[in-house]
Amino acid sequence: MTDTDSTTTGPLAPEDITADSPFTLPGFFDALADGQLLAARCTECETHMLPPRPACYGCGSRAVTLAEQPRTGEVISYTSVNRPPSAFDHLAPITVAVVELDTSARLTGRVDAPLDDVSIGDRVELQVRDPETADIDPDFDLSYEEEWPVHVFELL
Amino acid sequence: MPTAHLIAVGSSPLGKTDLPGRDLFSKALAEAFEELPDPADVVDGLYVGAQSERYENQIMQGTLMAEWAGLRNVPAERVEACAAAGALALKNAVRDVRAGVHDAVLACGVEKMTAGGTEGATNALGAAFERALEQRSGITAPATYALLARRYLHETDATERDLARIAVKNHRNAASNPRAMFQDEVDIETAMNAPDVAPPLKLYDCAPVTDGAAAVVVANDEVAADLQARADAVRVAGVGSAANNLAVAERDLTYVEGANVAASTAYEDAGVDATDVDVAEVHDAFTVCEALLAEAAEFAPKGRGIETVEDPADRSAGWTDVQINTSGGLKARGHPIGATGLLQAVEAHEQLTGRAGERQVADADTALLINEGGVADAHTVAHVLTARGE
Repeated sequence: MTDTDSTTTGPLAPEDITADSPFTLPGFFDALADGQLLAARCTECETHMLPPRPACYGCGSRAVTLAEQPRTGEVISYTSVNRPPSAFDHLAPITVAVVELDTSARLTGRVDAPLDDVSIGDRVELQVRDPETADIDPDFDLSYEEEWPVHVFELL
Repeated sequence: MPTAHLIAVGSSPLGKTDLPGRDLFSKALAEAFEELPDPADVVDGLYVGAQSERYENQIMQGTLMAEWAGLRNVPAERVEACAAAGALALKNAVRDVRAGVHDAVLACGVEKMTAGGTEGATNALGAAFERALEQRSGITAPATYALLARRYLHETDATERDLARIAVKNHRNAASNPRAMFQDEVDIETAMNAPDVAPPLKLYDCAPVTDGAAAVVVANDEVAADLQARADAVRVAGVGSAANNLAVAERDLTYVEGANVAASTAYEDAGVDATDVDVAEVHDAFTVCEALLAEAAEFAPKGRGIETVEDPADRSAGWTDVQINTSGGLKARGHPIGATGLLQAVEAHEQLTGRAGERQVADADTALLINEGGVADAHTVAHVLTARGE
């Protein structure tokens, strides 16, 4: 994946860390709402991290930059949440999976399919839903999370 | 460096009890100090492991537990790493004694998990997972461990039945542990036919919601020699800990690397290796964890951790002869989150002092404890305990 308009490579300066920057959660979710899935990419070891963060867990380097991620990936593992937290009760059972995107970035997310339809190795695509469509009890959200979109995987 | 000794242990009843957290602590403290002077005359500080204030709407447990022990104006701190909080309290107590900061420290843990029912426990435990992407996807503790289990069954020859056998073994062990929450054995068909919680994990793959407390006294040579009626105290010979990533997605699902780092560090600190360990209490919050931790502790070859249930003579090549979770483990002894790491120390103390009754492992002189918090190795604390003189 190509880097985005972030031309700088970390270590981040204090003034780089604002709610507009995708290196913070508000900036990451704003970009996601606009259709951009951004990871931190380590320029030393190529680890991709979602959400972006100021340092690489793979090698410890802070020479990280932003890289837009593909929406497609593969199911690494999956299960069904039969008794979810109360804010998700009405959605039970919830199929969830760990997905490895084609850049090797990995994230957990809901899968919009019954458990029996999912297998390890299945190809999936990440969809971005607004909080209402994602149907989480609004009481679950902290005040600053209310507008944040929710990602859901669909089987390809 | 002063040596840290475990000179006394105690625990409360485990299960759904009518006692709030502070009273559970009082029970554990009363047992630990049965043969000792007042706590104020023994210890100079306190650490308490407690996972969540959501159960009883109470933080400041360091102050509260110190007060209930009759300690005043001493350092008294709550420590937290979800289910690793108990071992974290022990680790801090050992560090203080080894550093000469204190002559003796009380390490305790408490959790009143049933206060809000299953829903309250699910929501409180949910705070241990990464918030932005994982909590907002609706995951729970059983689901995150099911992700490990599904992948483990995919990569190895292990089956759901192999996992169920771990639960059966731990229930059998608990049946001879008077401290255990469950005193009943469970047969394999019952475990296999139990309802799904998060496939492939079923009810008996999961540790229960438990109320409970535990307390142990860590002391230096002088205090241990002064106070110990018996000469068979236990030494804390090695300590290790490691924090891996928070999000389960960003970790190896079938190799708990952080646990291997913590255990290896504790082995090195103690000057032992995996083959020296006679008994181990490892964090079987879910059956698959026992298999994964047997491998991470270097007891078992990769993919064969499920053989914890076998007699040593029947295990694959590359296995040690360690006995795992003789207490019944988290699964059947019970898992009061903040107290669990100290309940592991209680079992090791009984094994290493020959007081484990029917479940006594002959000639046990070295024990490994692995206590984890978050999902699997998000946080791991490991201790090596040895019988004194070893």
